[in-house]
Amino acid sequence: MATETEHGEIEGFGQVSRTVGTVFRYLLIAATMFGIVTLAVLLVYVANDAIRPLTAGPGWYLTYFFTLVVPTLLVGAYVRTRDRAAFSFGVFLIGLLVVSLMFSGGVGLLVVDVVPPLVALSFALGLAVPAAVAVVLTRNSHRISFTTRLVATSLAFYLSLFGLPGPIGDAAGLPQVVPSFVQFVQSIPVIPVDWMMVAAVVGGGSAAAVGAYVAGVRDARSGLYAGLAAFAVSVASAVVGPFVGLNPVPAVVVTAVALVPTSTYAWRGAFGEDGTPIGLGFAATVVGGALVGAAAVEAFGFAGPQSWVDWQFLTSSHSGSAVDAGLYPAIGGSILLMSTVAALSFPLGVGAAVYLEEYAPDNALTRFVDVNISNLAGVPSVVYGLLGLGVFVTYLGQSAGTVLVGGATLALLILPIVIISSREAIRSVPSDLRQASYGMGATRWQTVRNVVLPEAFPGILTGTILALGRAIGETAPLIMIGAPNVVFSLPTALNSKVSAMPLQVYAWSSLFASEDFYTKAVPAGVVVLLAVLLAMNSVAIVLRNKFERTG
Amino acid sequence: MSTDELETDLTRQTENSPRELLTRTFFFLCAALSIVTTISIVVLLVTEAAKFFTITAPLMGVTGETASLVDFLTGTTWQINSGEFGVLALVSATLMITIGSAVIAIPLGVATAIYLSEYASQRARSVLKPALEILAGVPTVVYGFFALIYITPALATVIPQIGTFNMLSASIVVGIMIIPMVASISEDAMSAVPDDLRQAGYGMGATKFDVATGIVVPAALSGIFSSFILALSRAIGETMAVTIAAGSRAQFLNPVNPASFLEGSLPMTAAMVQLLLGDITGGGLAYRSLFAIGLVLFVITLVMNVISDFVAQRYREEY
Repeated sequence: MATETEHGEIEGFGQVSRTVGTVFRYLLIAATMFGIVTLAVLLVYVANDAIRPLTAGPGWYLTYFFTLVVPTLLVGAYVRTRDRAAFSFGVFLIGLLVVSLMFSGGVGLLVVDVVPPLVALSFALGLAVPAAVAVVLTRNSHRISFTTRLVATSLAFYLSLFGLPGPIGDAAGLPQVVPSFVQFVQSIPVIPVDWMMVAAVVGGGSAAAVGAYVAGVRDARSGLYAGLAAFAVSVASAVVGPFVGLNPVPAVVVTAVALVPTSTYAWRGAFGEDGTPIGLGFAATVVGGALVGAAAVEAFGFAGPQSWVDWQFLTSSHSGSAVDAGLYPAIGGSILLMSTVAALSFPLGVGAAVYLEEYAPDNALTRFVDVNISNLAGVPSVVYGLLGLGVFVTYLGQSAGTVLVGGATLALLILPIVIISSREAIRSVPSDLRQASYGMGATRWQTVRNVVLPEAFPGILTGTILALGRAIGETAPLIMIGAPNVVFSLPTALNSKVSAMPLQVYAWSSLFASEDFYTKAVPAGVVVLLAVLLAMNSVAIVLRNKFERTG
Repeated sequence: MSTDELETDLTRQTENSPRELLTRTFFFLCAALSIVTTISIVVLLVTEAAKFFTITAPLMGVTGETASLVDFLTGTTWQINSGEFGVLALVSATLMITIGSAVIAIPLGVATAIYLSEYASQRARSVLKPALEILAGVPTVVYGFFALIYITPALATVIPQIGTFNMLSASIVVGIMIIPMVASISEDAMSAVPDDLRQAGYGMGATKFDVATGIVVPAALSGIFSSFILALSRAIGETMAVTIAAGSRAQFLNPVNPASFLEGSLPMTAAMVQLLLGDITGGGLAYRSLFAIGLVLFVITLVMNVISDFVAQRYREEY
């Protein structure tokens, strides 16, 4: 096609100069690097302001150099030359430990300050019992018709969560006759100690996950043993915790959420089939080096960097002076907002994607929905904020700036992204699989549930996590729905006022603008926000890579 | 599942069983939510904006204070306290951010796309593409802080008369933010150019430079233009970076005069945030002006997205 326009160049045939090409090439490289280098420089500046590595003494650096850096380099080089797979397993293991520790911090925040252990326990039981009923009903699905099962399952959940006659009766003014199972649990006179309830809920959940994982890679019996062992370890940690300076509840949470899953993965990677124990050795060197370094620094009394990102910053709330200001309510707010956003946007987004890919007839309406979704993805976030303000706050009468309104607004904002990425994941499922399923007489829903969704799940999950990463950095919609700039306590319910990490950073950098905040609290907040984003994105990337290898 | 279970399952489940209908309805409702969202946005913006203007307010049953539609669209002063709502002051600031970020993002983005699609090795690409994605992934509030605290002082050492809040640093960070968008869409368009064309070029004795600039770029032009429009529509809707870095005092600036980039002004999105932070009563004039700006913003970005789609579809070279 382009031959006419090529006239100029073609006339210059025979006078080829390498200079132009080389200069052009280097210009392109420079252009590509410009944005990356600029951002890298800015990140170095902000990290320097927040962490202040230059304030640490030479003794501190020397100690860590000998306990952490040298062993890591030596063992790392050795493991890498011996077995590359083992090396990447070791690196992955360290990453897993770091990310799961961050995650356990979030869970700990939830069970310590947001949800009282008794309420958590009652709701866990209140959901587990009807779920068990549903499983039993599904097992016997060939004997009971679908409608009966649906009614029975809904009834079980309703009874367990609301009792009789529940909210329906409230509307008609009827008194509560039968208390719900949740209320029943909460009214039991003998209340176990907090850490026992936390161990039951969090430890039970983690033990179930570990058990299911081991049962998947080995067999059901080892899965059961592994689950029991995991639960025992979680419970034991509450007893051991106080001896190493941890309260029982945080000890249980850290063990159940971070240590147990990481060690399960480490055990399998090191001693399972095709295991690589030296990879575990590398991870142990790094973690051990860090611990030994910390102990040595403590023993010799070397001063570390006077970082603004410290325990005080992470656990205190806003203050008029930048040195005392902290991010705690904002971190908790972000966690609650993200939970709400995930709970709303995941089912809705995946549902819409399934409809458009598997069910929708090829007609004008479908094409309209299609165009509509891609246009919604381009609507500025501040307009979504207006939508939240106008619809949820003004018309539906929700109070401004609550977890529910913020979560719903952000969920609408990322819904198009979730739909688009889920559609891509669903589209990449080979149609052979679908045809095989239909060929065996499966209905559309059976095909979707048993073939399409399991195949597409890693891709859907990756897309959802990336979308959540976008939502966690959004500030404008939260301002529009009237989220307060300063919150001094964690939100404890869906209708309590919420702040979020980016909102707090914005408040510090514009409403409390002063040299003090610019150089202390804001850089620290930025570093924490970016660290959370980095953790989320690396989880998504690891999932994507795993998915691409197998898929 | 044992055989008889399978059999009952297979014989009973048809496309019209209650379960199929229920799941189908659920999925359909999920998809329909996107239409509901769009309709809510449009209805909300139009009705609330209509309550703002003198000419349409009586239709909506509003009796309180209103503003003139003509003044809104042609006025160049934005002073809420004195009741002057001239949106052109805000539009000029938004236009400056758009021009400024385009000057940065368009050449750099296209050059990045050419490098990634024509020059980079597989290995370099696998490193550079995620690195570029990070540029778009950093929260915009962080970019705003960077612009205010690091970029403006750095610029002040070169241009001493620059203000604390200025359009230049805001444009720079918005430009950096949208580079990945230009680069990835343009690169997709360039990668879609068939290899035959490149081979034909080499066969005629063209150098790599000739092929990249003379064959690949013209062949991918529609995709490149559509990436410009999409990225600029993103720049227009960008909120936090400009709110923090561009200032809070609305003034009408000449967008094509480079000197005005040294001053601060109030882009549309920043004006919306500022309105919200002030004392705003639901239903008041300031509250309704929010939706009037929102409508202008929504219409501009929607039109740009539609044009971008149109360009990509209409002028695509079919191979």
